[in-house]
Amino acid sequence: MTKLACTFFLCCFLFIACTGVNERNSDQTEKKPDTAIVHTPVANPYATIDISPMDMSYFPVNYSQLKMTHDLKTPPIMRVIYSRPHRQGRTIFGNLLKYGERWRLGANEASEIEFFQNVTIQDKKVNAGRYVIYCIPYQDKWTIILNNDLYTWGLKIDSTKDVMQFDIPIKKTSIDFEYFTMVFQPLTNGAELVMAWDDTEGRLPINF
Amino acid sequence: MKQITLLVILAISLLAGKSQSINLPPVDKSPMDMCYYPTNYPVLKIQDKVTEPAVARVIYSRPQKNGRLIFGDLVEYGKVWRLGANEATEIELFKTVKIGDKKVEKGRYTLYAIPMEDSWTIILNRDNDTWGAFKYDEQKDVLRTTVPVQKLNEAVEAMAMTFEKSDSGCNLIIAWDNIKASLPISLK
Repeated sequence: MTKLACTFFLCCFLFIACTGVNERNSDQTEKKPDTAIVHTPVANPYATIDISPMDMSYFPVNYSQLKMTHDLKTPPIMRVIYSRPHRQGRTIFGNLLKYGERWRLGANEASEIEFFQNVTIQDKKVNAGRYVIYCIPYQDKWTIILNNDLYTWGLKIDSTKDVMQFDIPIKKTSIDFEYFTMVFQPLTNGAELVMAWDDTEGRLPINF
Repeated sequence: MKQITLLVILAISLLAGKSQSINLPPVDKSPMDMCYYPTNYPVLKIQDKVTEPAVARVIYSRPQKNGRLIFGDLVEYGKVWRLGANEATEIELFKTVKIGDKKVEKGRYTLYAIPMEDSWTIILNRDNDTWGAFKYDEQKDVLRTTVPVQKLNEAVEAMAMTFEKSDSGCNLIIAWDNIKASLPISLK
């Protein structure tokens, strides 16, 4: 019996030790990349995690793959390039990400959206080009900001170079998103950029 | 006892995995990879340490070796290889440069390679936003240049690309398994 109890406590200790290590590593990943490799795809209804670490989303959805099977005559309309932090048991909104403070919508390098043609967002014209995209999350809405300070690291965004901003509603998701996810979904007159993490998602409609 | 052993193995494996002897970028825990020249340009930027404007950036996916023999086996000699995984690997030049004595205008290009045992042919192609090398079209090549390869003593698990400074500009370093290739980019 004592042997069993000993085993139990040792297991508990090791388990706590392990998760402790994990948490410390995850805090570090907020500042710099580390060497851990994501080996297993995690279920996600919008875009599964690549085994080879990189993520970009195109509109038309999967444009580059469509190109393999279709004779596409037109270039893509837009794409987003971003890094995908993991939730790792943490509460994200209102905790890891403070309401009212800038959130880089990703990790590592600043997230970037490129419009290959002019588009319209909330009745405002957005010129074709490349922008840094970031967010200020609030309890009941997100402010999505396009910024001109390209090729920067997400932790320090120069808000004097903000170009446009858009408030969007948010909603609770039916599942929890382990990995932060950005993907486009078609609308009748354009597409929306879906941004989902933990139990929350925001959608930015883009018209063209 | 078995559980303890398992837990100990788990603990060790969580603590391990930090070593890579040559100076290549680590794999991001958050899946994405790009590299800049000047190296780590975005980080330099937020530290106010930028001394020259961005010259180039590569966006690529990083396949893993996973115990396989890569060159001459998984990646066949003499065939066009996508130099990565998933979306085609792309290089963006923020200014006009010279590669293999040819002028390459600033812009975005897809990168491919044809690996041979002793050398690689590196290809810049203008058909962007594509997937792998499945629809590679030689007609759209902008440049082909052949570079020697170097054997590494230690295998690189995740394919890696990085830039290093050179006398005339920079070199794009590409390493996977036990092979390293270096593409000179001249700014002069």
